[in-house]
Amino acid sequence: MRLGRYELTLEPRPAPPAIFTALTAVVAILLALALSSFLFLSSHTRLIDAYRAVFSYAFFNPHGVLATVHRSIYLLFCTYAFLVPFRAGLWNIGLPGQVYAGGLAAFAVPFVLRAHDPQTLPLPPGLLIVLMIAAAAAAGAATGGFAGVLRAKLQVNEILVTMMLNSILFWLVAYMIKEGGPFMSATGEGESFGLPSSLHAPLLLGVPVTAALALGVAVLLDLLFAKTALGYRIRAFGENPAAARYGGIIPVALSLLVFLLGGAFAALAGYHYFAAVPGVYKIPGNYGYYGDLGFYGIIAALIARGSSLGAVPIVVLFAGLSVGARFAQGELRLPFGVDYALLGLLMMTFVASHVLYHFRFAWRRIPSEALQSVPTELPEG
Amino acid sequence: MSPPDLAPTEPILAARGITKRFPGVLALDHVDLEIQAGEIHAVLGQNGAGKTTLMNILFGLLQPDEGALYLREQRIRFRSPHDALARGIGMVHQTRRLVSAHTVLENIVLGHPRTRGFLNLRGARLEVEALCNRYGFTVPLGARVWQLSEGERQWVEILKALYRGARILILDEPTAALTPPEVKTLLAGLQTLVRDHGVTVLLVTHKLPIVMAVSHRVTVLRSGRVVARLRTADAAEEVLVQHMIGRDIAFRTTNRSAEMGRPLLQVEQLSAFNDKGLLALRGVSFSLREGEVLGVAGVTGNGQEELAQVLAGLRPAASGRVRLDGRDVTRLSPLQRWRMGVGYVPAERIEVASIAAFSLVENTALNYHFDPAFIRRGLLDNAALEQLTRRIVTTYNVKAPSQYARARHLSGGNLQKLILGRVLSRNPRLLIAHLPTQGLDVEAAAFVRATLVEATAEGAAVLLISEDLDEILTLSDWVAPIYEGRFGAIIPRTEADAETVGAMMAGLGMKEAGVR
Amino acid sequence: MWELVARSLEASTIFLFAALGELIDQRSGVLNVGLEGLMLFGGTAAFITAQTTGSHALGFLAGLALGGLLGLGHGFFSITLRGDQVVSGMGLWILSFGLTTYLGSPYTGPLGLGRIPSLWGLSPFFPLGVALVAITWLLLFRTGLGLAIRSAGENPAAAEASGIPVTSIRFLCVTLGGMLAGLSGATYTLSYNPVWNYNFLMGWGFVSLALVFFSMWNPWILLAGASLFGIMWQLSLSPELILPGVLSRYVWRTVPFAITIPILCIISTPWFRTRWGLAKPEALGRPYAKG
Repeated sequence: MRLGRYELTLEPRPAPPAIFTALTAVVAILLALALSSFLFLSSHTRLIDAYRAVFSYAFFNPHGVLATVHRSIYLLFCTYAFLVPFRAGLWNIGLPGQVYAGGLAAFAVPFVLRAHDPQTLPLPPGLLIVLMIAAAAAAGAATGGFAGVLRAKLQVNEILVTMMLNSILFWLVAYMIKEGGPFMSATGEGESFGLPSSLHAPLLLGVPVTAALALGVAVLLDLLFAKTALGYRIRAFGENPAAARYGGIIPVALSLLVFLLGGAFAALAGYHYFAAVPGVYKIPGNYGYYGDLGFYGIIAALIARGSSLGAVPIVVLFAGLSVGARFAQGELRLPFGVDYALLGLLMMTFVASHVLYHFRFAWRRIPSEALQSVPTELPEG
Repeated sequence: MSPPDLAPTEPILAARGITKRFPGVLALDHVDLEIQAGEIHAVLGQNGAGKTTLMNILFGLLQPDEGALYLREQRIRFRSPHDALARGIGMVHQTRRLVSAHTVLENIVLGHPRTRGFLNLRGARLEVEALCNRYGFTVPLGARVWQLSEGERQWVEILKALYRGARILILDEPTAALTPPEVKTLLAGLQTLVRDHGVTVLLVTHKLPIVMAVSHRVTVLRSGRVVARLRTADAAEEVLVQHMIGRDIAFRTTNRSAEMGRPLLQVEQLSAFNDKGLLALRGVSFSLREGEVLGVAGVTGNGQEELAQVLAGLRPAASGRVRLDGRDVTRLSPLQRWRMGVGYVPAERIEVASIAAFSLVENTALNYHFDPAFIRRGLLDNAALEQLTRRIVTTYNVKAPSQYARARHLSGGNLQKLILGRVLSRNPRLLIAHLPTQGLDVEAAAFVRATLVEATAEGAAVLLISEDLDEILTLSDWVAPIYEGRFGAIIPRTEADAETVGAMMAGLGMKEAGVR
Repeated sequence: MWELVARSLEASTIFLFAALGELIDQRSGVLNVGLEGLMLFGGTAAFITAQTTGSHALGFLAGLALGGLLGLGHGFFSITLRGDQVVSGMGLWILSFGLTTYLGSPYTGPLGLGRIPSLWGLSPFFPLGVALVAITWLLLFRTGLGLAIRSAGENPAAAEASGIPVTSIRFLCVTLGGMLAGLSGATYTLSYNPVWNYNFLMGWGFVSLALVFFSMWNPWILLAGASLFGIMWQLSLSPELILPGVLSRYVWRTVPFAITIPILCIISTPWFRTRWGLAKPEALGRPYAKG
């Protein structure tokens, strides 16, 4: 950009200091929050009231805190689902599809074993719950692994395949739970049968066991990438696939592995939401809303720059914001979708902070002869 | 031929006081260059001397931080190549700047002011044909560029510049990828252009024989500064070398007395496809003993990369067999081959052999992440890797801020030393070195060559793939010229001379030579 | 029957506009995987504008403008800053998905304007689409600008050395591509299905993106592919016209997506690549640094 004799240019920063990484994450989030005030402003609410409503519900109201915890667990699994393939340079945007696959597989266990009816449990409930979790993880892994195999074997674009799988599984869930589908509830139309109370995921201190799993994985994933040979291989492949292949890493196995893991994590998110959150214990008719929430996992992993532990506070904040925003929306009569708007704003500020992380603005003086026009004529030929 | 009047007349193109900085590097430091009309002016310098930067400034691809250009003593500024082209300056880059999927004609008219609006390819063809007749070129205008040989592509670029009305031609390392006969044709053609058609040529190169053969005057660059300006007729070869390098340097590594060990590698009728699905390696056979060097001499793109990759396990063999120690390894994975002692130094240092965003320690791990000695309780043993990296850095004289610096901050020479050190630290029994000294300065190249010799002394067999005939003839026990995926012959070093090998690199005399 | 065909062709037009824009984009070497986001934003802007002003024309203008603007944004990140084109594209998509959900929600419901007049039941956009295909083909293969665009996508360094301003060419193409994506979204919300709904596209943009790969970067093949998918899409909405009573209607909805995957696989096989793969712009997705 030119202003008079000066020129505004973007120049790459030579080597951003490490503290910048954390700083840009904080800046991105704060910026998104600041921008979101415009959303609240536009609907004739006092700004301070809006924020107070969002935060006090999300983090201080007993109902709100529980909702925040449940959503955090869900989003954490979605974050891992995106993060693991992303460290290998691959984009898993099939989170909703894998969430649905996990939900369907979990509900298939009691359905196939005819355990909807609490009176006729064929197996001990503990075993059934383990089976449900395993089935969910396996189905998610299969869904993710499908994209991984195609990517590794044929170089098929994984973004397109996972996105297509999202749509396919979305309609498959509709088929299963609506209009006389196999999983349809006996009473109402448009949602699945409810799990008998013996198959509800057990609670620890009022929180489902999935919470422990989610936090454990956060520690393990960072360890995996920092310390183990497998983690090294995934990172090497993500940074430079050709070099990884040269170093003896097998691309097919690696792409498959990260997508199996990613798919399994997303499916655990699905298991958590549909079979472990008190008050749900079914696949509700608005399952699409939960699936699309999974996209928060993408942004959380991106802002955390691939660190699973780094993603935990970010995810808790996002979960609180989306829960609180949903509450404030009803309370203050805000339009629907404040939580999604925040998602979009976060993406925007993330990209902007990414730019500022790698570039800085610089003013340069334009050399004087550049401003003159030079005669255009061909020399004699 | 007689050089044109070399009395200091008004130069047709001049650069005065040119300075260019890149982050952390002073690429050009107050450089002056004057070119007279109708001469062949050589700019001589090592890699990294700033030649290419200077040419890019003359052609408008880069802007100088200080100093200015003068065309017929008129101060001028090129904001883009477009400006330079409009004033009759054409450039032929070191790497081809042609769209390989397009036809020759499309490439020639690309960017020509007359292509505004609808394309008139038929009209353009007539014009280009007329131009060809005038200069005596024969170029297949309808062919796609990827179907042409490297020599033909060079002519397309020259023709393209002339079609744009260029009267001053800048050629950056024009002989880099050409076979010796193609070089001869090119130089003769350039002389004709200058003598008969009044074109001015600026020739940028690090190859002394070319400067001596065709140039009228020469400007020598070293580390971004002009160190000499001479008439070629007055310049002795040794003087130019001294100017270029800055001091005397021993070019040749010592000849070693090879004691041949046990047979190690047998390759039988090996063939492989390239990425486009064409047969690029066509039935190559050879064997190699411990401590031996086989030098594969050829111009890039004749199947060398495929040969190296098949041997390293990175590309499947279409047919044929590879035996290591008598064991058939044709179908083994790269990892299994690393474990069996096959070490590979690829030509692409940045793209394949290293990971730019990783630290030196992490780059070392690229060849060790599978080694049980470096894994403790399931975790990578970072202390051991760090120690190993430190050893490589000191042994191979890698200049780096620390072991935790990122590989992207190393210069080409230091990166290559790191890669070579890393591969050799595995004590490979077979070392495949593809273009190991390409783009390195003279010192680093000498170091790499000495290291290869050392490796053979310790019993490694080396497959050296290179474009540099001198390098091949200096280091190899056997020389195998490669052309279109076939070895012309396998000649003992004592019987190999530059003439025969050079001819076979160009595909001549393949029939007569016996194959071992 | 004619009604079904006309409706299918209108659906094709939506795929076609978006994919044609993406094709021009990709021919110049820029990949925009956020196509769906551009369509969502273009469609929502068009819908809101048309509803508030009561004018279809203004709605289309808003769609074109916003699509072009987002295309420029993608250009800034991927061309000027040489950022990862996939990051930028996915960013655009999530941004659009999030913001349009919020901005559009007060307008949820039907457009409430008269329908755009049709020609014998056929939407006027289909002939417009065919004309655009012809124009794009002429532009790409019969003009100097087209040669410049294709060269920028094949070998930007070569193009720059020939005096082609690669950066400007790519900016031109992403902007054009964005405008066409915006037009596609506007056609959806103003003509094809004039009802605003949360995430109304549900994958149309991603199917369009896949269509570009199927087309081997040729506008005429793209027209054929888009028509085929339009028909398939429409049939998946009303399967009872062909196979009444077979399978649930929800299962049929998966068909267009499910078919995309095997086609993607076929065009990715080594056999197909060596035979036809030459059409893929060599520098696609790679940022270009001068000098």
